[in-house]
Amino acid sequence: MNKQNTLTLVESLLIDYASGSLPLALEVLVESHISMNPSSARSIRMLLQIGGALMENSDPISMSEGSFERLMDEIDGGQQDEEIAKSDVSNDNDKLPLPLRNFVSEATFPKNWRRIGIGLSEQTVDFGDEFGNAKLYRIAPGCGVPSHSHDGNEVSLVLAGGFTDEYGSYGPGDISIQETGAVHKPVADADGECIVLAVNEGPIVLTGPVGRLLNMLIK
Amino acid sequence: MNLRVVAELISSLDMSMGSGSSNDNQNNLSEWDRLLLRVGSDRDRSAFKKLYEHFAPRLKSFLLRIGSDMSAAEEICQESMIMVWRRAETFNPESAGASTWIFTIARNKRIDKLRKDNRPLPDLNDPSFFQIPVDKSDDILQRVEEEKKIKNALKNLPPEQAKLILSAYYEEKSHRKIADETNLPLGTVKSRIRLAINRLRTQLEELEG
Repeated sequence: MNKQNTLTLVESLLIDYASGSLPLALEVLVESHISMNPSSARSIRMLLQIGGALMENSDPISMSEGSFERLMDEIDGGQQDEEIAKSDVSNDNDKLPLPLRNFVSEATFPKNWRRIGIGLSEQTVDFGDEFGNAKLYRIAPGCGVPSHSHDGNEVSLVLAGGFTDEYGSYGPGDISIQETGAVHKPVADADGECIVLAVNEGPIVLTGPVGRLLNMLIK
Repeated sequence: MNLRVVAELISSLDMSMGSGSSNDNQNNLSEWDRLLLRVGSDRDRSAFKKLYEHFAPRLKSFLLRIGSDMSAAEEICQESMIMVWRRAETFNPESAGASTWIFTIARNKRIDKLRKDNRPLPDLNDPSFFQIPVDKSDDILQRVEEEKKIKNALKNLPPEQAKLILSAYYEEKSHRKIADETNLPLGTVKSRIRLAINRLRTQLEELEG
């Protein structure tokens, strides 16, 4: 997909992110993108600020009788504030952006990577989502992914390194979008390994909110 | 940032600006920011009550406007306000004001709820929490200015555009409803919303320039 359409889709993804209507896999992809792209981070910040202002400007509607008291009872009687267990994030995962680390146990563990071609391996990421599937791809420097088409729309985020395909060049933090049926042949940059997170709506789920979101943008 | 440091920073701001014009005073933290800091540092119940009385009815109203039903709106409000109490010490007035912070908590609570209702969630660290992206150059005055500008810009929007901006926060089902009512493809509805957001962004940038 060309850069302009991609930019438009990224803007829509950010809006859907702020409103909380993305499936988990894409939410984590967008969060990872934000952590790597200051311009998108500023957009999200603005969208959250607008949300806050709209909320505060809303005409108040009373809560039901006794709500505050019930809340304090719950605070006093309920479980103590559970300290959030710090996740055992392995240093091996340093290459991954923070939002993604909870979902990938040992990114660099060789046994977790399945070799699927020359200089190309993949690892499934389980978001427990009904929405399509998510995979990490690792492409050795200068190696390519064989030309392939897509059964469903796919959103990819470059986590490390970079690649080039028929539509452009992508570096860390860049999003690339492949629409259903699009054919491309990505080749990793020669100067380092390229790691990509790809979220594909897959053949199973076509009616989810993102399927529609993607469908509408790809015209 | 350590809370005490924040508190000191705030009181130093007060001293430098307290005697200034009303224009200077507007640069200070809002009453709600201060209350939230007090909840964080002292578990101050009366401060929390004031926050609750201000924000819960507005949050409820906002949730109803963006498509939640009455019981979901109340539930998300309650759960969000519990989170406000529990996480108040993490509130950082450099990165967000009280309304942005509380909005973001509610956003996460709403997602939690939608996910719990529809599908299992893997056990995350803390699915209800979130990150408000932080700017390296963040400081309180800049943040207060930024949010004030947004509030003013929203107030001055033509009603049509204001409606579009609000609909960016609608639940997905509400977008479909608009599409049905207007006979426009969902894609067109979404791109109009995107354009409205972009226009607002441009207006904000012009204000800066």
